Amino acid sequence: MTTEEVKKETPKKKKESGKQVVIPLLQHIGITCKPLVKVKDEVLIGQKIGENSDGLCAPVHSSIAGHVVAIEERLHPLCGKISSIVIESDETNRAIEYNPHNNPSKEDIINAVQEAGIVDLTGYPLYDMLTTYNRIDTVLINLTFPGDVNSNCAPENIPKIIEGMKLLMKGSGALDGAFIIHKYNQSLSSVIKSKLHDENIEIFTVKDNYSPTMANLLAYEITGIPVPNTQTPLDAGVILSSASGALAVTRAVNEGIPHIEANVTVSGAVRNPGTRRVNIGTSFKEVIQSSGGYSGEPGKIIMNGSLNGTAQPNDEVPVIKSTTEIIVQSTDEVLCESPGPCIHCARCVDVCPVNILPGRIASFSDMGMYDECFKMHVSSCIECGQCFYVCPSNRHLVQLIKFAKVELVKLLTIPDEEATPIPGCQTCENPCLLGEPFISGGIA
Amino acid sequence: MKLTVSHPAHIREGVTINKIMWSKIAILLVLSLISAVVFGPKALAVVLISVLAAVLTEAGIQKLTKQELTIKDGDAVLIGLIMALLLPPTVDLWIPVVGAFFAVALVKHAFGGLGSTLFNPAIAAWVFMNMSWGALTGSESIPYLSGYTDLFIEFGSGRLAEVSSMVLIIGGLYLIYKKYIDWRIPTLYLISTIVMALLIGEELSYVITGMLFLGIFILAPDPTTSPITKKGRFIYGILCGILTVVYGYLTYDYVVAVLFTVFFANAVAPFIEKNTFPKPVNEVSA
Repeated sequence: MTTEEVKKETPKKKKESGKQVVIPLLQHIGITCKPLVKVKDEVLIGQKIGENSDGLCAPVHSSIAGHVVAIEERLHPLCGKISSIVIESDETNRAIEYNPHNNPSKEDIINAVQEAGIVDLTGYPLYDMLTTYNRIDTVLINLTFPGDVNSNCAPENIPKIIEGMKLLMKGSGALDGAFIIHKYNQSLSSVIKSKLHDENIEIFTVKDNYSPTMANLLAYEITGIPVPNTQTPLDAGVILSSASGALAVTRAVNEGIPHIEANVTVSGAVRNPGTRRVNIGTSFKEVIQSSGGYSGEPGKIIMNGSLNGTAQPNDEVPVIKSTTEIIVQSTDEVLCESPGPCIHCARCVDVCPVNILPGRIASFSDMGMYDECFKMHVSSCIECGQCFYVCPSNRHLVQLIKFAKVELVKLLTIPDEEATPIPGCQTCENPCLLGEPFISGGIA
Repeated sequence: MKLTVSHPAHIREGVTINKIMWSKIAILLVLSLISAVVFGPKALAVVLISVLAAVLTEAGIQKLTKQELTIKDGDAVLIGLIMALLLPPTVDLWIPVVGAFFAVALVKHAFGGLGSTLFNPAIAAWVFMNMSWGALTGSESIPYLSGYTDLFIEFGSGRLAEVSSMVLIIGGLYLIYKKYIDWRIPTLYLISTIVMALLIGEELSYVITGMLFLGIFILAPDPTTSPITKKGRFIYGILCGILTVVYGYLTYDYVVAVLFTVFFANAVAPFIEKNTFPKPVNEVSA
């Protein structure tokens, strides 16, 4: 898979075509990639442009053919500014020669997944799950996250998802596999049932929607093994992936194509909402324009779900590997009520999936009593956003809880140069507020 | 283009304090109208004066202490309304004025306003009035359930709230359906009352009164004064049922029993809550 293998074509350059992609060098949990290309280098589709062998890292690949314009810090949808490779298209579709596997062995699968730089929706590099020291019994594919299901579970993708599941089972040595589907999503479950011809793969129905940050809870629900926030589902012997991850695995192993595309559903205040296949690195603006543009004045752009997605500072941010959903809210949909007093109605307690008292913790956090928050198990919170969703008094529960966590980290950190840095984004020393899937939830 | 950046979540369910309060008020207003049919226009006068006094007290306190006026959230109206419904129609009209002032000024605002009260203001004010002017606030008759029609309209009732159990039952089920109140306290309260009454061999026709349903659907599940933990609400509901039957069995008055029950249960609610803190599903082992 080197560039020399590719036959040279005459590039048809057009000066005015300024189609650019911005590929962040950090699209996963782990360390930032080092760029493998320099400014003005020519790159092809699928060419590896960033890698770091020093630690947990998923390599990044160019999603278009063209030349590198700049390597600089650009806005990232989750982590503020991250050094990124900016590539300008030359309007050709020259790609590297892909290296598909027809009858892959376990090592082939792991190598292909690692080389393709596949990142799951949680932001976790998928190859690291396959090469874990834990004994893996089961591969689960979570089909309950609405954004993922809307984007990736079109009927023509179902055979590929099942194929991805089989590859993941082979790659990890797991004997069982299961699709997890919401109990009201009967159509999806019947489609999968009709395509599924394997005794080892089952279909589980669950009552709730599980977003990627709720991976530990889902593993607990299926296996019965409690997974604390300091661990991952791997510790319960479970690989938990998503439809997007399974699709990428199938493409990487069977076709040899690295993770350079994502299915993105655009919804909300746009003219033609729907699902589109976009290259990694395309700006949100372009994706929204291909969906017919904004209808009305946009007030908020959210990536990956209204409940626990991340609001974007502007629409120049690029699509990254874990993007499945772009939601545009018009200005009058944006919430801007001021919070009232807590009336202790306990609606937040009733919806909390981890069984803590969000309203009480938020009140303590509001008063600056972070030690009390710690006693009330603030660290168990997975920031799913459901307490904020049901609060009748408009209290900013999630924000207050996150604030308490940050203050606790400051209080509990030993002032020592040798203290272990927070994994993930390394652009600043502060605990990350923007990139919650990268730092909190089931992963941190 | 200006974009808002905020923490998640970015949408809301749409249940607000105003909706919760005003739907309760709507149910109780229907009840007041029926009581006006049964008792005559004097009942409406009691309700109006009580509500007016509560609202004016709240407005006065918030003006004096330079707080934002919160009449619109309906809490003061609800306090005045509940308090009026606990009184007999024969009451002197100055009593609800004093009661409303006591409820809003001393029980609600002295403790920190909406959401910070230890006791339900209306109940605490009723206890105060009952202690101070027992003869003036006592009822002349105690209802007895002699047939199914008494569930719809009760002519033998002594207090405004007892006139129609059906309005309270339908309204309460609506509140539960809309998730404006929690289902645990009403269900457990009802079950434990009936079980307890059967256990000590009391006739259910004395136990089941309009006031019991007011207690079950409006007074006991009052969000501020009931425990917030799930287990705590179970215990609270059971405790309410036991207290009601015990008090009623000893004093032969199941109407007053409900009111004192909620008062006592409010007092122990923080204790129940403190001892039923839940264990997180994914507790981080230290």
